[in-house]
Amino acid sequence: MRVLLFGLIAEKAGTDRLEMQAGSLDELRGMLAQRIQGLEALSHAIAVDRLIMHDDLPLTGDEEIAVLPPFAGG
Amino acid sequence: MNASKPHKVKDIFVEGAIDPAFVGTSLAKHASRTDIGAHEIFLGQVRADKVDDRAVTAIEYTAYREMALERMTAIREEAFGKWPGMTCLHVYHSLGTIKAGDLCFMVFASAPHRRDARDVVAYVVDRIKAELPIFGREVVEGGGYVWKTNT
Repeated sequence: MRVLLFGLIAEKAGTDRLEMQAGSLDELRGMLAQRIQGLEALSHAIAVDRLIMHDDLPLTGDEEIAVLPPFAGG
Repeated sequence: MNASKPHKVKDIFVEGAIDPAFVGTSLAKHASRTDIGAHEIFLGQVRADKVDDRAVTAIEYTAYREMALERMTAIREEAFGKWPGMTCLHVYHSLGTIKAGDLCFMVFASAPHRRDARDVVAYVVDRIKAELPIFGREVVEGGGYVWKTNT
């Protein structure tokens, strides 16, 4: 699945896009924590198909995932 | 516009600063709508905050465009649901590097009466700041930057 990274998170990861395979959102959270050093200490939210998700959910692989640092619009 | 009609996804993003003249042009376009009795306009300007005694010279804005536009469409529909008397609502947000002193955000509502226009702008500005995935890097005088966070 396609994982989009933004702002500070993209900067820490050294890329704005990752390709990952995970069967659930919690599994993906674990993989992201391994891939992006210090991610757990950074305030962030995860969006699945452009909606922020707090709980676990199964993933099929077709979703668009995004890792979002704090918002700063306005 | 009609509250029961779904609003199509509109792009709110503009590359670069919002020209103050654009505010006047936008206002002038409403002259033919004589049912309007009040306009309320919020304009966000890039502030030269201090970071360790050094001034912020600009903010570099980026966004997760698709999600931001989906959220904005939902917020717009909710606003028309809450204030069905509102005549129209226009939102613009800058992307790219915006210098301190330049305009980066505009929310413009028009309604028959002032209270609706005022309330909807306050509501929409707060929702946008909290919910739209827009990211800002403050460029600091003398080099370096800090990531901005809305509080």
